[in-house]
Amino acid sequence: MNRILRKLFSNASSLVGIVLLFIFIIIAILAPVIAPPLSEDPYQIPRMSWDIAPQSPGFLMSDDIRDIYTVMGIEIKWNKAICGTAEGGYDIFYGLIWGTRTAFRIGLITVAIAALVGVFIGSISAYFGGWIDEIIMRITDIFLSFPFLVAAMVLTTILGRGLDKVMIALIVFGWMGYARLIRGSILSAKEETYVMAAKALGVKDIKIIWKHLLPNTIFPVMVQGTMNIGSMVITAAALSFLGVGAPVGYADWGQMVSFARNWIIGSPGHAGQYWFAVFYPGIFIVLFVLAWNLIGDTLRDILDPRLRGEL
Amino acid sequence: MLSYIIRRLLLLPIILIGVTFLIFSAFSLLSPMERLANYITNPGALKNPQMVERLITKYHLDDPFPLGYIHWIGKIIKGDLGWSQSANQPVWEAIKQRFPATLELVLYSIIPVILIGIWLGVISAVHHNDMLDQTIRVTAIIGWSLPTFIFGLFVLFIFYGILGWLPPGRLSVWAQDIVYTGNNFHSYTRLITIDALLNGNIPIFLDALRHLIAPIITLSYISWAFLLRITRSSMLETLRKDYVRTARAKGVDEHTVIHLHAQKNAMIPVMTIAGMMIIGMLGGVVITETVFTYPGLGFWAASSAQQLDYGSVISFALLFAVAMVVGNLIVDISYALIDPRVRLE
Amino acid sequence: MINNRKLLLEVKDLKTYFFTENGIVKAVDGVDFEVYQGETLGIVGESGCGKSVTAFSILRLLDYPGKTVGGEVIFKGENLLKKTEDEMREIRGKEIAMIFQEPMTALNPVLTVGFQISEALMMHFKISKEEAKKKSVELLKKVGIPIPEQRVNEYPHQLSGGMRQRAMIAMAMSCDPILLIADEPTTALDVTIQAQILDLMMALLQEFNGSLIMITHDLGVIAEIADRIAIMYAGKVVEYTDKKTIFHNPLHPYTLGLLTSIPRLDVEMKRLNVIPGIVPNPLHFPSGCKFNPRCRFATDRCKKEEPSLIKIKEGHLVRCWNVDKVVKEVKKGFLVGV
Repeated sequence: MNRILRKLFSNASSLVGIVLLFIFIIIAILAPVIAPPLSEDPYQIPRMSWDIAPQSPGFLMSDDIRDIYTVMGIEIKWNKAICGTAEGGYDIFYGLIWGTRTAFRIGLITVAIAALVGVFIGSISAYFGGWIDEIIMRITDIFLSFPFLVAAMVLTTILGRGLDKVMIALIVFGWMGYARLIRGSILSAKEETYVMAAKALGVKDIKIIWKHLLPNTIFPVMVQGTMNIGSMVITAAALSFLGVGAPVGYADWGQMVSFARNWIIGSPGHAGQYWFAVFYPGIFIVLFVLAWNLIGDTLRDILDPRLRGEL
Repeated sequence: MLSYIIRRLLLLPIILIGVTFLIFSAFSLLSPMERLANYITNPGALKNPQMVERLITKYHLDDPFPLGYIHWIGKIIKGDLGWSQSANQPVWEAIKQRFPATLELVLYSIIPVILIGIWLGVISAVHHNDMLDQTIRVTAIIGWSLPTFIFGLFVLFIFYGILGWLPPGRLSVWAQDIVYTGNNFHSYTRLITIDALLNGNIPIFLDALRHLIAPIITLSYISWAFLLRITRSSMLETLRKDYVRTARAKGVDEHTVIHLHAQKNAMIPVMTIAGMMIIGMLGGVVITETVFTYPGLGFWAASSAQQLDYGSVISFALLFAVAMVVGNLIVDISYALIDPRVRLE
Repeated sequence: MINNRKLLLEVKDLKTYFFTENGIVKAVDGVDFEVYQGETLGIVGESGCGKSVTAFSILRLLDYPGKTVGGEVIFKGENLLKKTEDEMREIRGKEIAMIFQEPMTALNPVLTVGFQISEALMMHFKISKEEAKKKSVELLKKVGIPIPEQRVNEYPHQLSGGMRQRAMIAMAMSCDPILLIADEPTTALDVTIQAQILDLMMALLQEFNGSLIMITHDLGVIAEIADRIAIMYAGKVVEYTDKKTIFHNPLHPYTLGLLTSIPRLDVEMKRLNVIPGIVPNPLHFPSGCKFNPRCRFATDRCKKEEPSLIKIKEGHLVRCWNVDKVVKEVKKGFLVGV
């Protein structure tokens, strides 16, 4: 384990990934300090004005909004949109900061649950073999027949908007990779003599899976999981972009980009005047996903030759 | 090989049933009234509660699950996919109309994906760990870290917003006049670039191409980055094999060792994954067409999802799933043909 | 020259190291031997002693992170280690050929057997595809594969283990190499097939007076075909002499250990004789003589000073400080009837 950590830190690309990830973790933890919420639900991005069009960075909270807050008795801890506002006056900076927490939530929860489900199903399938394996693999094939984004789209359309629905959709269609992975590892490990020896000694099936097979086959799953955190966040962002994910005004990076398509071109004569509406959330998404991918890619390279015989 | 192919063909109906079953299950999560919208052409009819009840019974929307499934499948098999509210036409018509645009986009995108992905993947593996490999790998990692929609917006911003070279959509207005009214223009394939060439109309050909470039770049970036990664790891593994050493021991030149002895083996698993990936591009198509307002199936899928046109959403889920299943079958069969160990047993 | 035979290959102080992340593995650390035309040299040792790496070093087929860092490999008067890659390619397959242990993995699964044999021919002799294919069929026949016209178009997985090894031999011998290096060619085969394969190799080589370097851990195989034998341990040659002397008058404790560990039917044995201990970890070699932890004759000197390969008699070199003790053991009569 120490060896793996050491190698991760010594490789240039994974080091960049680790540093980036570290920065994001700090942002997520310090969110209430960096961007104090102005309403009860911290994930609701405060509006700086009623304007539809995005406002440039440095925009100050409009008077009528400020009056509303005063009437509601809420202390206005800050009033400048450092990164500008998105369509509808939502403060971009606030969205970026709290969106970091959203991203971690989406990425870690969906991957963790999908991996658990997948590993469970895959282990059962591989260990018992026979027609149980056949049926489970066919079911896996059926789920795999849907392009991920399309499947998630369909499910979120039917289930309704909201981040929790998005996460459900991502999990329902995200477990198959892990199932196949663990199944493959177990199938080859099953043939290993040490498993046959354990069986010959009368060790119970569950114990064999738990103590002998899983520890050795869990590494590819871990690598896969790390790399999938990025794609889960991207898909969630894509869904929000398409308008079927997080509701309007929610602190989610993808949601912030969703109306940006109309503004990206700018008005005649001012090409790209609304660049900030896309650039800031976009760069956060890219860097977040890049961090996980850099780490995951290096992790794969480190663990790959190991898997070939030393484990 | 024959038994392998037969086995795969026998699985086909089972998978298709499973897929349709899954879709129907999702569809059933909706209330009968919500599903009703798919069956009628006039949304106004929904205002009358008695009418609604009658229609629900007529279309078996209230039946227990298995019966409902059978009726629904029966309808689908007959080719009746219902009515698309967002497109204001029968779903099947909507699909037929938008299909060529998507086909054209995907076909053109496959070429750079395969060429660049495999070519760079092999180079990357051969130059394992030196500067070239690291550079290529980083470019590829950035590639699959970039969400398609961000990259697309970026391309749109630079090449249209700032430079004005590559406009969104499929054709400029003047070209649309000619193509869609059939004024001196015969649509043979409904793939505009090909039709333009067949009609000898170069300006339209160029115009169509101009509108295709940005979507192609966007759609293919993630795919070739992915293809590169799997080609690279497959090649790395193959280059370590004993038979590569044997080839070198015979005195075979390095070029042949890499491109014949190693690559021919490495490509077998890559091809199967690549086949699936191409079909998986269908997901990227949705985003790409939305970003560039390209009037294909993806754009329609996105707008029907936004407008909660459940019937259309279910239909395109069905369409994409069937495409994937059939594509999967084709890929599996070609795998059997390529690998002599499977072909001759 | 020995017995009027020309010196074909001379390996002098060959050193090949592997520069791994965990340290430098000195797989081959000063190996010397000679191969004369028309003779068979056997290289014997346990797994991990460096014998395969020696073979790869001769043909310069090392994979990263291995590198030959010292010594000379003089083939027909020229040092192979100093040649360019292009020059080596001329030699590989044509003058020096190699066959490997596991024919299933050593043959390319997606290329026909015929193509893999023809390839060397087409490359080294610039003949046409049809001519090469004809020659391939002849070669398959020569190595004893029935229905060669059909087999030539088949793939490796369609042949049995023995046939695959014959095909490999056909491939290696296709250009009539003057030196064949065989890396444990019979280890993966049944005993009955082993004998056939050995006979085949010897017959083919005799045709044009070729030489063979036979790498193996199997003393039985060595006894059959080797003229001279080099015993390797932990990356070095520890004893080097002709076959008769090795079996009747070995001088190195390791050789003695190998010979006495062969189970015998004519003498009653309560337990098998084994060499105590295990092969040392190449990252942590013991100081002094590398065999000393397992050697029953080891003295203090052995633990501190590594012996060099010394000529004890004409044609007999040994790397040991306690040769006299081994002689005494042998005299006690352990090696009757070998």
